[in-house]
Formats: sequence, structure tokens, C-alpha cells
Amino acid sequence: MKRFYLIGFGLLMAFDTLAQLSFKWAGLHGGDPTFDLPWLLRVFAQPYIYGAIIGYIGAFFSWMVLLTRAPVGPAFAASHLEIVSVLLLSAWLFGERLTPLQWLGSAAIVAGILCLARGEAEAEAELADA
Amino acid sequence: MSYLPLFLWTSNLVLDTVGHVAFKIAAAGGREDIEAQHWWRMAAQPWLWVGIGCFVLEFVVWLAFLTLLPLSEGVLLGCFNIVVLMLIGRWRFQEKLTPWRVAGVALIACGVALVGLGR
Repeated sequence: MKRFYLIGFGLLMAFDTLAQLSFKWAGLHGGDPTFDLPWLLRVFAQPYIYGAIIGYIGAFFSWMVLLTRAPVGPAFAASHLEIVSVLLLSAWLFGERLTPLQWLGSAAIVAGILCLARGEAEAEAELADA
Repeated sequence: MSYLPLFLWTSNLVLDTVGHVAFKIAAAGGREDIEAQHWWRMAAQPWLWVGIGCFVLEFVVWLAFLTLLPLSEGVLLGCFNIVVLMLIGRWRFQEKLTPWRVAGVALIACGVALVGLGR
């Protein structure tokens, strides 16, 4: 089960992050956002938007596989780990500055994921003992 | 917050919650394999399409919401979705609210709010 969650949430985070970063790249390379057909054609002429589409499709399938076993409430909360990966990669790739509150928020999200992981490990151990 | 953003935010909350609950119903009891048969069985369930419909609508609602309010406020309000979905999971699927789970979900919701405030 531990392996299932590790791989599942790892893939979900990777696909979600790929989608967000690809959207940013697509926006940067699409020129002025005029929201008309030429702008759409410019966006779709770049490879980045396809990264976003692959990200969304991959995230959908990862999420559906996770939901076969994972409880939806904690799983949905855990899926927000993507915020941390996107923030860190945005700072590295796009030079975006992270504020102290964002660092604090990221630390709280990671701490929350660790709590959820601990809870699942204990629940699994209880199930094995029963 | 005036009425239109409030309406859009509430719609987003409802669509997000119903979408995830519908996905959970469609996926629950399935096997976590990657066989095509498993996915076809899932695709035959109306709940999967209810979920997809909710997320298509949510995309439009979210877009409208972000034209009225900054993204930071959108992210900040996103922490409510986390708490609501945990409570709905308890009510609809009898998911246990163990101390570790409650602490984890609370920390993540606070973290999302802080990231929103920090923009």
C-alpha cells in the first residue's frame, strides 16, 4: 500500500507540475494574449501547450487509480503537494521570488502530507494486526 | 465580497466537491491496474461523466472568478475545498477522521491559505 501511494501521488504531482509549468511556458511563448484565433494558433504552434495536455491527461489517470483505494478527503488534501513543487520550480525556472509566507505555507503543506502518511501507516498496521 | 464573486466561488466549491465525489464513486471498488478493460468499465459509469462535466463547468466558473478577483484570493479560498471534501468524504464514504488525518488536512489547508496570502 505504501508503494501504491508513493508511486500514485508521485505521478500525480509530476503530471500536475508538468501541466502548470507547460501552461506558463505556453503563455510566455504565445505572444500578447489577444484571446483570438491567431493567438490560439500561436499557442498551439508551440510544443509547450501539448505538455500541459499530457500533464492533465496523466493527472486524470493517476487520480482515478489513486481513488480506487485512497479515501477522497485526505487524498484531495495530499494532491496539494503540487503547490510546493510548482512554487519551487517557478523560482528556479522563471526566477519568481518566494515570499516568507509562501515558504511557511509550503512547509505546512509538507508537514500535513507527513501527518497523513503517518496516519495511513498506522491504519495499515492496525489492519495487519486485526 | 460582492454577490457575483460570492456566487462564482460557491459554484466553484460545489462543482469541485461534486466532481471529486463522482470520481470517487466511479473509481471505488475498481482495481488499481492499467488494463484497458478496467478503464472501459469505469468509462461506462455515468458518475465518471458527471465528474468530467463538473470539471468542465468548474473551468469556466474559475475563469470568470479570476477575471473579478486576483489569483491570490482564489488560492486562499481553495483551502475551503479541502476541508469541505474531507467532511463530505466522512459523510458519503464513512472515511475515518483520525487525529493524524485531521491534523494533516488542517495543516495542508492552512498551508494553501498561507501560499495564497503570500502572493
